[in-house]
Formats: sequence, C-alpha cells, structure tokens
Amino acid sequence: MTAADGLEARYRRLLRWYPPSYRGRHEDEILGVLMAAAQPGQRRPGARESLDLLWSAQRIRIRMILRGADSQPWADALALTGVLLPLLMLLLKLTEFLYSGARYGFGTPADILVGAYGQPGAYARSFQLNPYSVALTGNVTDALTKGPLPAFFLAVLVCLGWRRAAAVLAAFLPLAFLGISLTSGYTLLAGPRGDVTLYAFALEALILLITPGIARGWRVLQWRPTILLAAATVAAGAGMNGGLWPLFNAPLVPPIGLAGRLALRGQIPHGFLGRLFGVGAGQWGDWLLYKGTLVAVIAVALIAMLAGSPVSRRVLFLLAVPFALGAVIYLCSLISPPPPASAGNALAVSPLLLFLLAAVVFWLGHGRRAGQDVPGRPAAPGDA
Amino acid sequence: MNKRPLQEPTFLLLTALAQGPQHGYGIMADVERMSGGRVKLRAGTLYAALDRVAAEGLVEADREEVVDGRLRRYYRLTQLGGDRLAAEVERLQHNAAVAAKRLELRHRATGNLA
Repeated sequence: MTAADGLEARYRRLLRWYPPSYRGRHEDEILGVLMAAAQPGQRRPGARESLDLLWSAQRIRIRMILRGADSQPWADALALTGVLLPLLMLLLKLTEFLYSGARYGFGTPADILVGAYGQPGAYARSFQLNPYSVALTGNVTDALTKGPLPAFFLAVLVCLGWRRAAAVLAAFLPLAFLGISLTSGYTLLAGPRGDVTLYAFALEALILLITPGIARGWRVLQWRPTILLAAATVAAGAGMNGGLWPLFNAPLVPPIGLAGRLALRGQIPHGFLGRLFGVGAGQWGDWLLYKGTLVAVIAVALIAMLAGSPVSRRVLFLLAVPFALGAVIYLCSLISPPPPASAGNALAVSPLLLFLLAAVVFWLGHGRRAGQDVPGRPAAPGDA
Repeated sequence: MNKRPLQEPTFLLLTALAQGPQHGYGIMADVERMSGGRVKLRAGTLYAALDRVAAEGLVEADREEVVDGRLRRYYRLTQLGGDRLAAEVERLQHNAAVAAKRLELRHRATGNLA
C-alpha cells in the first residue's frame, strides 16, 4: 500500500462520521480536496485536519436534524418523542394515582393535585405541620412536579396539535418551579423524581420547537414501541410505589411470597448499592421480589425497543436524556458530605437552562419562520 | 434578504465564486490567496460552509468533472448570492468610508492642535 493509499483509507474512515446521505453526495468530492491539499508523502491525516472533519461532521449532522431533511429517523424520532413524552408522563401519574390510591385511599382532590398519591389528608396535614407560606410553597412545587395536572394539560395540548401552546407550557413549568424554589431558598439537589420531571418538561419544550410537527409524530406512531414504552412506564409507576408488594402478599400466593422472601432475604450485602436503590440492610430479598420483577419488565421492554427500528432506538435515546440527567443529580445527592447548596443548585439548574436556552435560540433562528401546524389529529395512531 | 453581516470566511467564499464557478480545492486556495494567507479554510470547514450557504440559496452546484479518477464538483454563485455579496461589499465600503473620513478629521484636529 502506498502512502497515498494509506492516507486515503484514513480519510475515508474519518469521513464515516458524516451522515450517510451527505457522505453519499460529497465523500469523493471532499476526499479529492483532502488528497489535493495533502503534503507529498503524507501518510496520516493531521490532528487539526482530523478535528476539523469530526467537528464539521457533527455540525452537518445537527443541521440535518434541525432541517428535518435527509435525516428521516431523527426527524421522525423527534416528532414521535414530542407526542409520546407527555402521554407517558400522564400514564406514569395515572399509574401512581391508581396503584397507591387503591392500597391506601385516593384522598381529596387537593391531595391528588399535589401528587400525594396514596396519602389521604397529606395536603391538609402540610398546613398543620408547617407555617402557612412554607406549606403553600411546598404544595405548589409538588403540584408542578408530582401532580398530574401539568402532564394532563400538556398531553391535551399535544393531542389538539397546538404545538406552540404546548411548548410554552412545557417551558413554563420548570421555570416556575425554579423561580419558586430558588426564591424560597430550597435546595434543588434533593428529589430525583422531581428532577426527572423537570428535565422531561424542558426537553419537551425543546423538542416541540425543533420537531417537524406534532402531526408528523402522530403519523409515525406505531403500536409495538408504544405498548412497550407504556408497559415500561406502568412498571416504573408501580415500582416507585411499593412494587409488587400487594401481589406477593395477597392471600392466594403467600407461600410463593414467603419462599421468595426467605430465599433472597439478606443475600446481598448492604452498602453503596443499597443507598443507591434506597434499600435497607437485609432487605434486598424483598426488593428483588417486589421491585426486581418490575425492573426486569422495564429492561425487557427497553431491550425490545433497542432491537426495534432506528426510530425506536432514537426515541429511546431521547427519552433517556431526562433520566440520565436525573441519575447524575441523584448520584451527586448521595455524595457524603453533601456538596454546598449553591453547587447543587447550579448542577441541577444547568441542564434545564441549557434546554430552555437551546429552545429559545432555535425558535429565534428557525421557529418563527416555520409554518403553522395543522390543528387536530390528522392520523390515527398506528397507521404509519 | 438577510441583512446580517457576513462572517469573513463566508464573505471570502462568496468572493471566490464571484468571478466564476470553482471546485472545492480551488475555493480553498483562492480564499487563502485573497486573504494573504490569513484565512485558511480546511476541507471540513469549507464543506460545512458550502452546505450552509447552499441551504440559504447563495450558491449552487454548477457541474461535475472527473480529474485523475476523482470527482470535482464546481459551485457557482446564485443571483441571491450575488446580491448578498454586493450588499455586503456596499456595507463594508460605507463603513470604511465613514471610518476613513473620521480618521481624516482626527488627523486634522490633532494637526491643528500641534
């Protein structure tokens, strides 16, 4: 192999970072320019040249996603995620409400409003146990993050096809939470569930602005990935509220539950993993029995998604973003001694602000020129 | 039309195409020559810029040739691209004229003071 052949092969490897459709049109052309600009006898691409190609490839990729052109899977995945995210959030709240409510009572409308699922009287108690302003602030922030109404209204707006109204609401929710929390001196680095919800709202705002349209999301919606995601969401909702405890303690299956608990109890030492999953010493057997099954259901559903279409994989990636950010915040909250409140707040707020900033930048750059969505729901799910 | 000032590499890229169609390597060499070696467009940057200005309708593909077994695609300025470049030239000329006049007045003032 000559020096030129080796150099060409290495350039071709670098050009693989470009989107396939772009590479199909321009690979030979760019390669010609690279080879013409190469020094005589050059065997390897220079570091600057390589970085320039990698960086430019990412710019082209992002541009194609934003244009929605030549990037069908990403454009479809963004549109589909924009539709699915609020519906899945609503399903999660509904699961929590029904699952906990059935066991402990549904409570008053105010309890439901602040997301105190299975805790009847929690709303009224908060005013008895705390000063009025503290209780009120806590209830408002709970209503924004744990309550079902924000997800409900967002889902309604998305179903109506009102993209901009939905984007404004999705952006307003985390901003309102931040405004209330920071002016009240709350530490944000505390509740992973709340963090994930806020990141999900901010991501939804961004997606709604950059997506080709809600109508396209409905058109590309398919039953199989939707059912898998719904199953994973219901399993997560049940898992976060006691898992399969009612099932394994039901009268019909006590021997199974007892045998399982005896077999698994105390088999795993308590330590960091215990803290990570909120499991007490000697309770791993119970955890595996009551919640491990649900984790397995979620894992199977997600793996099936990964093995699905390119659009499914991308949807899963986008949906994982708020969870990944929430996981980082949660891991940071486990640090002992805890970081200063200001550092924790900055860490928790940064992704939110980045999402919202990106949404504003995109809206100023592209969104205002975008055409109007067709109102309503143009196609039935699954007809794609 | 977009009234935002053009960045220098984009300005030089459009200038390189003002006289007639050129292929990628020709544009790179021309930009370096016009800027006195100050601006060097690398291949990745050049094609990212071409992709952007093509999306804005300022340039378009002119023709293709195969030279020494390699594809060469020539690009040309569109009517919109020509108008945009002319507007930018006018803006720069106006700014340069204003700056030159102010400097002349300053020299006169400092000369009188001296």
